[in-house]
Parts: sequence; C-alpha cells; structure tokens
Amino acid sequence: MTDTTVTPPTDGYVRDDTLLPRWQMSPLTKRRWANFKANKRGYWSLWTIGTLVFLSLFAEFIANDKPLMLKYENEWYFPVLIAYPETEFGGVFETEAVYSSSAVKEMIRDGDGWMIWPLIPFSFDTIDLETEGAVPEAPSSRHWLGTDDVARDVTARIIYGFRLSVLFGISLTFFSAIIGITVGATQGYFGGLIDLFGQRLVEIWAGLPVLFLIIILTSLIEPNPVALLLLLLLFNWMALVAVVRAEFLRTRNFDYVNAAKALGEKDFTIMTRYVLPNAMVATLTYLPFLLNGSITTLTSLDFLGFGLPAGYPSLGELLAQGKANIQAPWLGLAGFFTLSIMLTLLVFVGEAVRDAFDPRRSAT
Amino acid sequence: MSDRILDMNDLSVAFRGNEVVHNVSFHIDRGETVSLVGESGSGKSVTALSVMQLLPYQYASHPGGSILVDGQEVVGAPEEYMLKIRGAQVGMVFQEPMTSLNPLHHIEKQIGEILYVHQGLGIREARERTLELLELVGLQRAEERLRAYPHELSGGQRQRVMIAMALANEPDLLIADEPTTALDVTIQAQILNLLNDLKQRLDMALLLITHDLSVVRKMSDRVCVMTDGNLVEQGVTAQIFSNPQHDYTKHLLAAEPSGDPVSAAPDAQVVMAANGVSVVFDLAKGLFASKRVLRAVDNVTIAIRQGQTLGIVGESGSGKTTLAMALLRLTASEGDIRLHDTSIQGLKSEALRPLRNKIQIVFQDPYGSLPPRLSVNQIIEAGLKIHEPEMTALQRRKAVVDALLEVGMDPDAQDRYPHEFSGGQRQRIAIARAIILRPEIIVLDEPTSALDVSIQAQIIDLLRDLQHRYQLAYLFISHDLKVVRALAHQLVVMKDGNIVEQGPSEQIFSSPKSWYTKALMTAAFDLETTDQNDID
Repeated sequence: MTDTTVTPPTDGYVRDDTLLPRWQMSPLTKRRWANFKANKRGYWSLWTIGTLVFLSLFAEFIANDKPLMLKYENEWYFPVLIAYPETEFGGVFETEAVYSSSAVKEMIRDGDGWMIWPLIPFSFDTIDLETEGAVPEAPSSRHWLGTDDVARDVTARIIYGFRLSVLFGISLTFFSAIIGITVGATQGYFGGLIDLFGQRLVEIWAGLPVLFLIIILTSLIEPNPVALLLLLLLFNWMALVAVVRAEFLRTRNFDYVNAAKALGEKDFTIMTRYVLPNAMVATLTYLPFLLNGSITTLTSLDFLGFGLPAGYPSLGELLAQGKANIQAPWLGLAGFFTLSIMLTLLVFVGEAVRDAFDPRRSAT
Repeated sequence: MSDRILDMNDLSVAFRGNEVVHNVSFHIDRGETVSLVGESGSGKSVTALSVMQLLPYQYASHPGGSILVDGQEVVGAPEEYMLKIRGAQVGMVFQEPMTSLNPLHHIEKQIGEILYVHQGLGIREARERTLELLELVGLQRAEERLRAYPHELSGGQRQRVMIAMALANEPDLLIADEPTTALDVTIQAQILNLLNDLKQRLDMALLLITHDLSVVRKMSDRVCVMTDGNLVEQGVTAQIFSNPQHDYTKHLLAAEPSGDPVSAAPDAQVVMAANGVSVVFDLAKGLFASKRVLRAVDNVTIAIRQGQTLGIVGESGSGKTTLAMALLRLTASEGDIRLHDTSIQGLKSEALRPLRNKIQIVFQDPYGSLPPRLSVNQIIEAGLKIHEPEMTALQRRKAVVDALLEVGMDPDAQDRYPHEFSGGQRQRIAIARAIILRPEIIVLDEPTSALDVSIQAQIIDLLRDLQHRYQLAYLFISHDLKVVRALAHQLVVMKDGNIVEQGPSEQIFSSPKSWYTKALMTAAFDLETTDQNDID
C-alpha cells in the first residue's frame, strides 16, 4: 500500500474553504447512530418512551381538576395557569375556585360562560366527591382505570407518577454519573496513593447496608423529592467508578496522552478531552440500566412507605394500595403494567445503545 | 516423493467477494528457501495462510487456483485431511512470539501435544523428543526449561520454542511469517542462522514471508515480490537485487534508507544537555520485601546541538525510550537536565509549561499516538491553544493548514479523523503536531519502525528536510542502524541503561570500539552473530 500524499502547492495557494471550520458528524458517530437504528426494537422504544416523557411533561394539561380555559362574562380565563379566587366569578370565598363543584359551574353558566376541560378532569390529588360506589371504585367511563382507596383517579395518578419517576430517575442517574465519572477519572488518571485510598473508600462505602440506612435517614428527616434525591445519591454514585477508573488506567499510558503532556496540556484538559471520550462508551452503555435502577429504587422505597410522603403521585404507593386492596385488582394491575412497560422500554433502549457502541458490529 | 514440495497455481483469495490476492503462482523445491516480499496489505500473509487453509473461511474463499503440497491438492480439501497436513507436512512460525504460545501451558506440554496428536508418542518418548528438538533449536539448558512457561522466556527463546514446535514432525515445508520482525537485531541474526542451519540439516523447504530486504538477501534462493495482491516479479535472489524488472521491485529496492545526514556545523550551540541522568524504578517495595530497584537509565550524559541529530541506538530494554521520557520530564529522574541555560529538572509543572513548546516528541506507533476521538485539526491546534493563546480561531486554522502542507499532507485532511489515514499519513500528522509549535528539539522515538520501507524512506526525507529548514535538533531513538546512519550526526549506543559508546556517528560506524557496538553492527548490516554476544 503506498502513501497517498499530496504535494504541497508550490505557490502557497490554499483554497479559501479549507480555512473555514466545517461541522460534521464524525464517521464514528454516524456508524453508531446507524447501528442504533438497526436495532428496530430499541429505536422504537426510544421514540415511545421519548413521546411518553414529553407528553407527561404537560401532565397539567392532560389531567387536571381545573379547566384549560373558560369564558365568563365575555372575558377569557386560564385556570390551569393562573389561580382565580371564587369571588372573580361572583362567589363568596376568596380562595381559589373549585371548578368541579356544581356551585361554580352554575355561576359560570349564569355569566354566559363555558369551560373547556382537560381530557381527564381530575388531578393526581383530586378526591372525587361525587363518586357513587364504594372506594376503590372499578374502572368506568368516569374513571378509566378506577379510583384508589381515597377516591382519586388512578389514570391521573399514573400520568403524574410516571413523570415524577422518570424525572427523579433521570436526575439521580445524571448526578450519580457526574460524581462517579469524576471519582473514577481522578483515581484512574493519577493512580498511586489517590487510587489506593479512593478505591478503599469506595469499597467500604459500597459495603454499607444501603436500604437500612435510607430507612433510618428518611425517618429522621421530612422526605421530599429533593431530600430523597440527595439521600439516594449518597449511595448510588459508585456504579460508574469501576468502569471509568479502568478505562482511565488503561488510557493514561497511551502515547497520545504523553504527547499531550509534552505539549503542556493541563491534567484537567487531558482528562476531559483526551481520555474521557474513551470512557464514555462504557458509561453511555451503562446509563439506561442505571436509570432503570434509579426508578426501581424510588418505587421500592415508596412501596415500603419510606419514600415520598403522602400527597405525591407515586407508582410505588399505587402498588402498595394494590397489595392492600386485593379485591380491587385494577390498582395493582395498573401499577404493574405502568412500571413494567416503562422499565422494559428502557432496557430495550439500553440494549440498542450497547449495540451502537459495539465495535464488532458494523452497520449493514 | 517428488522434490517439488509446494506448487501454487493461479491462486486467488477473496474476502466477502472482494478479491485480495489475484492469480498467484510459484513453487518451492526441497532444500530451497523462497521469500515472499511485500509491504503491509500486499497479500503475502494471506497467500501463506492459504497453504495451511487457515483463512477465516466463513468470509474467505478461493475463487480459483490450486495449491499442491507434496503433489496433493489442499484447496477445498476436507478438514480431516488438513489436520494431517498442518504441523506434520507443513509447519508454521508466526511473527509474535508473545502471543503465539499459550501462556497457560509450559513448554513441554505445548511441544508434546503435537507429538501426541501426529505421532501418537507416549509421555516418556514425547519428552525425549521434545528435549531433542529444544537442543536442535539451540535453547540453552533445555532440560530445565521443559517446565518453563512462555513468560519466563525472552523473545528470542520463545521464537526458538515456536520453531521447535513447527519442526516437531519434521515437516517438508516450514512457513515462517515475519519470524524476526519482533526481535532485536542480535537475536534476529541468531534466529536466521538457526533457520538456515535447520533447513540444511533436515532437508526441508522454507517459505519466508518478510518485508525486510536484507533478510531476503541473506536467506533466500529465490524471491517473489508481491504488491496489492499480485505477484509482480519472481526470480533468483541475486538477479532480482542486481537487475529488478518490475517498477515496484525497483521502487522497493530504492526505498532502503540511504543518504547522509543534513550537513551541520559540528560545534553548533548546545540546545539541550543532560548531565548524569538516572531513572530508577522500584520493582518491589513493601514492609517485608527487600527493596529491589531497576536502574533503567544509569548516569547518562549527553548533549544535543542545534541542527544536529543525536542518534540513540540500543536493543529493547536498553533504556533509550526511558531516557527520552526523562528529558521531556514525563518520567521522574535524577541528575541535571538543561534546556539552553535553564535547568528544567527541578521546575514545577506550571513553570515548565511555557518551555514545553521548545521540545516536542513523535512516537513510534502511529496508531496509538493520535487521540482517536479528535479531528486532525483539533489534534494539531492543541499546542497553539496552550502556547499562543492570543491567536484567533481562524489564525489557528491557517497555521494548521501551513503545518499540514509542510509535512506534505492535503489541508483538507484537517476535518477528518485519525483512523481515516494510513500509518505513514498519521506519522506525518504527528510530525505536524510537533512542528507547529516551532520547537528547537524534536524527540523521535522510533518514528519509522512501524512503517513500510517505502513510507519509511519518505518520512526520513521529510525529517531531513525539516531539520535543514528550521535548524531542528533531533534526538533520534532507534534500533534500526540503517535509519540512524541516514540521519544521525552524533551517536550514543546504550545497553542496560548505560552508555556503551558515544561519539560522531561516522566514526562509530566505521570503527566501533566496544564489542557490543561491533556485535550490533554485524547483526544489523551482515545479519551475522558475533561469538561474544552469543549467550542467549
């Protein structure tokens, strides 16, 4: 094979466009994206879960006990966005109007008005006072998936619960990844004593009985999503340390790292720009599964009653209700299917990501 | 049995329908050595593996041709038949002695296995035969080494074991695929002598696959030259070397490193000096273990002058790369290191950074020395960002274009990624990364060792040209004395971390003083062993 090199133009003339930076997807990224798409199941799972997450971000517009908009005496109101006191519509209370009550409905009708309701006219914490049967109520045209034991609409709770689970899972995964990568990178890059002590710390930390500690700690503090996130983060960041550390240990002796040092690059630049991209393959392959783990952790805590306090829409709490009300199988089934579909889709996405980064696979 | 051991006719090989070897025909007679020469990707190894039918046949196929081994067709022969051929009629020695032995089995077991399989020998007989073989290939203290594992042997010893395995059944044909490429020159000479000797003693045929023309000249009776899957020329060795017919053969012969170093004033200014530099590695350290150290570089004093090349030669493990790393302050060392008048030995990394543009490095492996995830532009401009922070993005891009032109690359290369380039092109990119900072010294750590000979010659020309243009000082590390002779003004010969000999390169090449230098030269230029060094 001969070297195909171009003799430099003798007059020093350089085409103008070679001076302009051109952005393009690197061939490697292109090949990976093609590999990802080649896994049809993972590709469609990504679209499905992406659409569901996107829709759930607008849960307030899908399931709410306030109308999307209403017209009252020739004026427009947007109760979903703005809280109006009942006095606005000629009522007596200065608190926010309860639009589902017959009194408010009547007032608006009297003012030549009308309301547009969301698809599901209940929020996750709306207690349906007008329900007729005993709670938990079986699925009906009013409550598609029935109600739970305090007459709250299960569909609405699932929509909000899904959003909370996913957002919580994503934040937990994101912050765990950041801490894990930082620790792993530092240990692997510098090696020596830093690695020795870092690794022992990680081992001891990982040996703590996490579940008991979390149960004890959640009983000490008033749990809210942020507090719970920080608490879980304390014990969740070790997952990526091992892979990132191994990758850094391997790469730090490569010639291009030495070349970068000889150029005078700072350690931080070498770590982030030269070495980290190698570790990202292992990391990205891991992330969907880490996300799954995070969601499961929150759900199990909620199921045991040590997670989010009452009032938050929680899938774990739905499962717990299903267990307590075995005569109302729609509770357990709804929780089960929501979780299993969500986790399965994420695993499928994870598999496709793994395929995408598999160097032995070529896009066909 | 006829004397024609191997007869290959119009052999083609295709991978996934892509033909990579086209209609190759040649033959080998008993007692003959035939060399298959070509650069990487020329199809020489694929041709040799076809003889053994060892290609990955789930992708590979033979669109046409035949291979007769002792008059029997092997192309398309049933696997059971091939099992009898391999290791019995045809033996093979591979390039990498590190990976071609099983690390988990000791030597006796690995050689014995062949004897059980093909000759059905018992344990005791196999052991006797193994010993015999090991003595045949000249492995010293063979009896003690029966139980040795591959990691306990040196590269040369492993290659001897490989050869013993290949010879276990007294094959008619021995295929040696780059048998000495991974070895030091003195060991190379020993192994070549051994192969020659064995060929005569056992009266077999030898098919030698190599890219090294001096090996070809020494060893072979006939030569087959391959390029791009075609066998372009074959003939008697002396004739091919004296009167090549095909353009490619001429090109290959002309590519041998030649020419003289760039002229330079012998008393040029010293840009870098090392005084009594030592690098010590702790081998074992612990509460109870006694402390053992390895003096990888031991009290070395050198000076590098402007516009000149200081060549450092030595075999693997001589400490030459470690010395370069110490001079770049990439590994901890003792002793004084001066860049002009500044002592850089004690400098903290912050204080050292502004001086880093003065001394740059180009590595041996063009695949490992460029970060795979950065574009060529990002790789080359990295140094500018550090040392010329006031440059705008456009100025940097212009500088990258200039640097690429200077190393003979198309400026369009800058938006591509390292894996899109060949080894020679990558080496040019690595040189561009070094010269864009206008350094005074470039450390060249075996920059041509991983390249094909014709590319090697191009890189040497480029290096000479750059040295002449910018009065660069080179610290040129190599085990290849031919390349060193083409570049170096001053020469340092290292062995086991010490300087064995030092002086003007012409003088050392014409009249080496120490026996080690002499042995090295004989091994490198005449491929002969020297008695005093024959202690493998």
